[in-house]
Amino acid sequence: MTLTPLDWIIILVYLGGCLAAGLLVRRYVRGVEDFAIAGREMDVNLGIASLAATELGLVTIMYTAQLGYEKGLAGAAIGVIMCAAIWLVGRTGFVIEPLRNAGVLTIPQLFEKRFGGRVRWLAGLFIVLGGLLNMGIFLRLGGQFLVWATGMPPNWLEWVMTALLGLVLIYTALGGMLSVLVTDYLQFLVMGVGIVITSVLVLMHTGWLGLIDGLNTAWAAGTLKSHPFNPLHSSNFGVGYLLWMVVTQIAVATTWQTQVSRVLAAKDSATAKRMYRRTSFYFVGRYLLPGLWGAAAFLYFHSAGRTPPADTLNAMPMYLSTILPMGIIGLVIAAMLAAEMSTDSGYMLTWATVIYNDLISPCLKQPLSPRGALMLTRGLVAGISVFLLAYGLWYQLPGNAWDYLAVTGNIYLASVFALLVCGLYWPRANAAGAYAALVLGAIGPLTFLFLGKKFAIAPEVAGASSFGLAFLGMIAGSLLTRAPAKAPAPLPA
Amino acid sequence: MKDPFVLFWSALLFGSILWYGFLVFYIGLKAGCEIRTLLKTLGRPRPGDPAP
Repeated sequence: MTLTPLDWIIILVYLGGCLAAGLLVRRYVRGVEDFAIAGREMDVNLGIASLAATELGLVTIMYTAQLGYEKGLAGAAIGVIMCAAIWLVGRTGFVIEPLRNAGVLTIPQLFEKRFGGRVRWLAGLFIVLGGLLNMGIFLRLGGQFLVWATGMPPNWLEWVMTALLGLVLIYTALGGMLSVLVTDYLQFLVMGVGIVITSVLVLMHTGWLGLIDGLNTAWAAGTLKSHPFNPLHSSNFGVGYLLWMVVTQIAVATTWQTQVSRVLAAKDSATAKRMYRRTSFYFVGRYLLPGLWGAAAFLYFHSAGRTPPADTLNAMPMYLSTILPMGIIGLVIAAMLAAEMSTDSGYMLTWATVIYNDLISPCLKQPLSPRGALMLTRGLVAGISVFLLAYGLWYQLPGNAWDYLAVTGNIYLASVFALLVCGLYWPRANAAGAYAALVLGAIGPLTFLFLGKKFAIAPEVAGASSFGLAFLGMIAGSLLTRAPAKAPAPLPA
Repeated sequence: MKDPFVLFWSALLFGSILWYGFLVFYIGLKAGCEIRTLLKTLGRPRPGDPAP
């Protein structure tokens, strides 16, 4: 183990503080609306902290560092696209403004108003399916970081991650969005400090000019297979992949339920838009700073006498364990635990809310009492954590982590994005088009997930085709069937 | 350092470090106050609450 008693004290104080804060606020939760969206009382700065903490998980740090290791700093190009997409959506209010004004609890609830109850149920199913598969690898990747950064025995991984998830489960199931917001705030602070300190230490270790020269030399020698600075180069992402990312990131900003749940928890649509604009640049660092650690790890392991790790995901934590001094490594581990916990709590709550609100609730003959609804949602949060443990332990990634996340996300991103855009802005869209979009949009990602390894399907082909098929299904399905019987409700003001 | 891509990534990288450092203090203060207001609002009696 590379941790000293001082490191352990820092980690335990952080974990205890998070649990205490999460439990203290649970007494304010009086119904499902408080539990799921904190009574819609969230203001802009808390929204920024929560959105940033939830969307920057340990899994994010692992895959963005892997991109940095394999593609140099150009691996952060996706972050630049994400920043532009979120700023643009925040500037224009595209989708998020009418969504927030509709006063719904989840995205599928909006579909019921526009396309009917069955579309709401089917969309809820797709959202849960895509979201849970996407989240399935979070624990495994987070655990890999801890194993290599702390030097703990690999067979502890399952137990440590189970204990961590148990901790998150306690405060999320009891306090819901309110606990998530308060702990996200603490985690945002710890994570920010840890990321800045680590980045400065990595820069001091390699030297900025040393890093640039090293990457250029590795590229020229053929050790590094991708151009380290030019994302458009055919050896790096290439134009086709980046175009897919542009569409994907706009869809993420408007459709990804964990992001949208912050929009729905905001006081009003102006707060939601401001939160998006002010958080946008954060997403550049979300890719670039761990990407820097990954690129530095590449140079470290490809210098004389060192053996690069077989799994490129492990390079960054192994590298950090060698350069971070006592005390700082404890802080960085606490920061990474913060990243993992904030993401797990936000995701568990979001998917549980969709399962309750859009899959179970519409099937009930009589609505549950507020207490019963709260108990059921808490039970669903617990059920999702059990699924995460089971799925995370046996699934083997078919490609790199980012491709898996992007493609599983696309199972619902493409179809739900088509439904949202056409439902809000195209009066001719109808339920037949919505069904066609949901089914066709899921074909590409599911094919990649189950047959991607066997037939060498490129992720951008699977991902981009899902958007094309979803919009094709929506347009063709709507035009080939009767127009909606009554004019759709006007967009909320 | 003449490569425009290198200049681009350099600016973004150092900008990100500064931005993250700034946000920790700025959001730390502002969001902390917002949490207090949020809890005050949610702690108030609401219609439908049982009478004391």
